[in-house]
Amino acid sequence: MDTRPLAAPQTPAASVRNTMRFEGSAGEYFKIWIVNIALTIVTLGIFSAWAKVRSKRYFYGNTYVGTHAFDYHAAPLRILLGRAIAFGFLLAYSLTAAISPRLIGFWYLLFLAALPWLIKSSLRFAARNTSYRNVRFDFHGTYWGACKAFILWQMLAVITLLSMLPFAHRARDYYNINNHSFGQAAFNATIPVGKLYKYYGLALLAILGALAILAALTGGTMNIFKPDNPLIMTARIATVIFGAIAFWGAPAYLGALTFNLALNRTQLGSDFKFESRLSPVRMTWILISNALLTLITLGLMYPWARVRRARYMAECITVIGPADIDAFQSLPVPSGNAIGEEVASFFDIDFGL
Amino acid sequence: MQLSGFYFPPGSARQTEAVLRLTADGKYLEICDGSGTILASAPRRRVAVTSRLGGIRRKVEMPDGALFETADNDGVDTLLKGHSGALARLERSWRLAALSLLAIAGSATLFILYGVPACAEWLARKTPPSASRIIADQTLKAMDGKLLLPSTLASQRQQQIQSRFALVAGWEGHHYELLLRNAPHIGPNAFALPDGRITMTDQLVLMAKSDVELDGVLAHEMSHVNHDHGLRSVYQASLVPAAIAFITGDASQFAQMTVLLPAILLQSAYSRKFEQQADDDAAALLRRHGEDSAALAGFLERMELKTCGKAGCGPSWLGSHPVTSARAARLRRAPAP
Repeated sequence: MDTRPLAAPQTPAASVRNTMRFEGSAGEYFKIWIVNIALTIVTLGIFSAWAKVRSKRYFYGNTYVGTHAFDYHAAPLRILLGRAIAFGFLLAYSLTAAISPRLIGFWYLLFLAALPWLIKSSLRFAARNTSYRNVRFDFHGTYWGACKAFILWQMLAVITLLSMLPFAHRARDYYNINNHSFGQAAFNATIPVGKLYKYYGLALLAILGALAILAALTGGTMNIFKPDNPLIMTARIATVIFGAIAFWGAPAYLGALTFNLALNRTQLGSDFKFESRLSPVRMTWILISNALLTLITLGLMYPWARVRRARYMAECITVIGPADIDAFQSLPVPSGNAIGEEVASFFDIDFGL
Repeated sequence: MQLSGFYFPPGSARQTEAVLRLTADGKYLEICDGSGTILASAPRRRVAVTSRLGGIRRKVEMPDGALFETADNDGVDTLLKGHSGALARLERSWRLAALSLLAIAGSATLFILYGVPACAEWLARKTPPSASRIIADQTLKAMDGKLLLPSTLASQRQQQIQSRFALVAGWEGHHYELLLRNAPHIGPNAFALPDGRITMTDQLVLMAKSDVELDGVLAHEMSHVNHDHGLRSVYQASLVPAAIAFITGDASQFAQMTVLLPAILLQSAYSRKFEQQADDDAAALLRRHGEDSAALAGFLERMELKTCGKAGCGPSWLGSHPVTSARAARLRRAPAP
């Protein structure tokens, strides 16, 4: 720990490095998780909202910065309401998909119009229900801001044949980070777009390489073996697995790189900085092996996988700032709207960070 | 008794080492610093205490937002008995975890074996015929002109098949209608729509060596209509993912990846059951009217040989239909009528 007071006279307080820690355990979480699922089934799904809050509280409450952990405060009843609405939408949507696929376009339009609102309210709900040392986080993003960052920029990226994709990525990160605050201090990120271009270029190369190998694999097998040869089955399965790793791994790899970049260029107020040292290879490995293990064990390893990921991510993130954070104050705020978050998480919207 | 931990003033991150204790009359909670100065105090009933969860720290929140935080979970449970975490006790026991696991596996099995099919059947029964008609129209509209083209069979042959169909259809009490279509992209196939319309491709008609084989195919599709199999699979397809999402409540990408495959496998398993029932019904119907159900068996085998070659069409647990050899054997096995 670097706690030396700096020599420069204009530096008011010594800077302290606090690496995050995750202190939960897979065994402990497994019991919580399984008992909560059983209760959810017994209550025909009603308890799921309480289960979600307990799960979140467990992860927040075990994630430490220095001597204190985060806390999650969402009211399960609000989550239940949001979830019921999301469930209704999902049911209506999948029935439409089955009964008259032509009407599905209507849903997509509705969804597109609602998307910025979903993103905004979901981020706000999450932020307002998160606290550290009795001080709440908050989120100030607007509908229009989300519309620009998540729809207009993405459309522009598509129109320009993905050449503007790094700008679109940065717009998303800016919306996400720069609208967050902790107490009265605002988060502020300045991300150099050149680095993003480099990372996206690498990812593109990786995907192209994977495509080339895939083409070689499938093309080769088609020509060499007769269609009823059992080898072709094996080759096809190998191709599918390789393809999944490549197309799933590249985004995970890119995700770790851009996560590091965003956090390393983020400030909280004027004094606090962050450092993120995720290893892209290790992060990719963790994500892929987690998914495979969960699948193979029919979900039994899910708690272990989740704890493993949380632990690795925590130990890669460091908060740097004055030892004294007493000055942080929060004003009481309403805790946001759970409907947005639930609908969003049901339809699996990715917020970038 | 008193608990040691940290005190935070309302809405502030400023922490002070402090203790929490009950007043002598047991009605008030007080937070005091090391020198005994009272930092905060409130009636016990108006204080919010977080429920126990794993080893995470407990928070005791005063009505004004002042906070006391402690790692002494047992202490909180003893001092504030009303707030003892019953749930946390359940979550601590390995025996209960094992029991939960068994209960979950059991109820999931029951739900999959009986719950989903029963629910779908009920919904299908409650679906008005007009809705079935709309679904069938939509399906046909999507396929007609692209995958399904007007039949190229000679009109005499078409009439022959239609009158044969009228005869077989007359054996059952439902209303059916036969559509003949040329489908070069689909190949030999036949399918039933929820409103009783049955589509048969020219390619299938051409593969049949005798009209008895076609009777078998028609009887099979008629059974799908009789039991609302089409509507039921639509409902089953919606119910399984919805239930999984609702129970786990975690529809993230990670969860979806792990849920997708089991959902597809389940869907095929349900479908295989329907196919078997349609085969059984067809065999019974044919036999009741003095026809040979083995003809359908032979036809299925020829169809598989044509579409998949000698190796067969892949493993049964992936397919929407049971393995052809098993279907054929079942059709040939002639139980007493």
